[in-house]
Amino acid sequence: MLGPNLFKRSFFFLNTLLLIIPLILRSIPASGINGRADYETVNYKGQKLSILRDSLTQAPVIIRGIESNLLEIKNFSKLSRKEITNTGIPLVSKYKSLLRIEPDQLKLKSAEKISDTWYVSYWQTFHGVIIYESSLGYAIDSRGRIKSLGALLYPHVQAPVTSKVSHEEALKIGQGQIKDFKKLKCILLAESVLIYPVKKKSSIDYYRVYAFNFFPQEALHPASVVGGWAVFIDTQTGKKVLYEELLKPLGCCIPEDWVPPKLEEMKPKW
Amino acid sequence: MVKSKFLKFLIIGLLFFLMVSACKEKAEKSSLPKLGAAAIDFNFQDLEGQAWSLDKVRGKVVLLRFWADWCPYCRYEMPIIDKYYRKLKKEGFLVLAVNVKQSAEVALAFIAQLDVTFPVPLDPDGKMAKRYGVYAIPTNFLIDRQGIIREILIGEVFKEEKPLRELLKNYFPLS
Repeated sequence: MLGPNLFKRSFFFLNTLLLIIPLILRSIPASGINGRADYETVNYKGQKLSILRDSLTQAPVIIRGIESNLLEIKNFSKLSRKEITNTGIPLVSKYKSLLRIEPDQLKLKSAEKISDTWYVSYWQTFHGVIIYESSLGYAIDSRGRIKSLGALLYPHVQAPVTSKVSHEEALKIGQGQIKDFKKLKCILLAESVLIYPVKKKSSIDYYRVYAFNFFPQEALHPASVVGGWAVFIDTQTGKKVLYEELLKPLGCCIPEDWVPPKLEEMKPKW
Repeated sequence: MVKSKFLKFLIIGLLFFLMVSACKEKAEKSSLPKLGAAAIDFNFQDLEGQAWSLDKVRGKVVLLRFWADWCPYCRYEMPIIDKYYRKLKKEGFLVLAVNVKQSAEVALAFIAQLDVTFPVPLDPDGKMAKRYGVYAIPTNFLIDRQGIIREILIGEVFKEEKPLRELLKNYFPLS
């Protein structure tokens, strides 16, 4: 027979737990962080390099030259913008066996000059299709020197090269994921076919997806706090593989003479 | 009799818990960062595994910046911010460039590409961004040495050097 005192104690214990558990959970730092970067020194064709690898793919995330540059581009100051955007080709060719991708897998993401430095970055592609969140990029100084590169590459992609589900069907499924799609006057800001890598403990699943970026029209106003959504639909099964609420990328503050931006001025997530 | 008493206690306990949760949510909503008010405490871990909190950065002028690699505007500003970070680091200027809702690998690759040197904390589930009321990126908060928010800058504002230099002139001897 349990006495009332025990019930009282259980009650206080339960309440204390209810109040303490959230505090304990909040004090634990977010997981999924690499911790201190673990660099290795490699002798690559007579060149000393410092490399940080992705723990799952073993592809380099960072490569730095030790006492030497990764690449020195001759007559750099005379190169045109187009020639600068092609500098990834000799760089990947030179470090191909480390990076484990082919130069023709690169697709230009961005190239801009800030002060005297050019910043160039690429997507990795698979059969011409962009791999979501992949990248390879570097800075080129005014003398044409590339000292390091940063990359998120997938050396052994295994993904379908055709789609089984039609675009129209996928779009309907995608729109169906947004609650009150019509009420919010949602628009399709961008769409694309992408390879979407999903990292698991010891392997990666590669989905070929229809990627849709939806925005409620309200979100086009810079002062609106409403964001948008990214929805990825598997091209093979028609199932949703990603649903994400987005923050708005904002290219300006709110000027006094504000006019609604054109649709093409909003940036998609890829 | 005893059972019904226990049930009563349990219901009261749960109601109390729900009330506390509701109050907390309301308090969070009304405690979004404001100009001239104390900055909200944060708890981040950066790409090097280092922990950052408001207490740890007190005494420094902090540019708390929320960004993601897919935002083109965030990209353009980074090298300019890094230039001033390198210049004023010893005098107490700290940049915490918080990556929102992306993996450590994505953030690391991006930072390496731009060759920037400031700490990059991660906010993988966007909780801190939400607490700071961030709805667009980039969003920057300038926090003074006393932990007071002095500027909230939403959108791309540092594409040119001038606005950042003018801002930092209030805290550092810049010509």
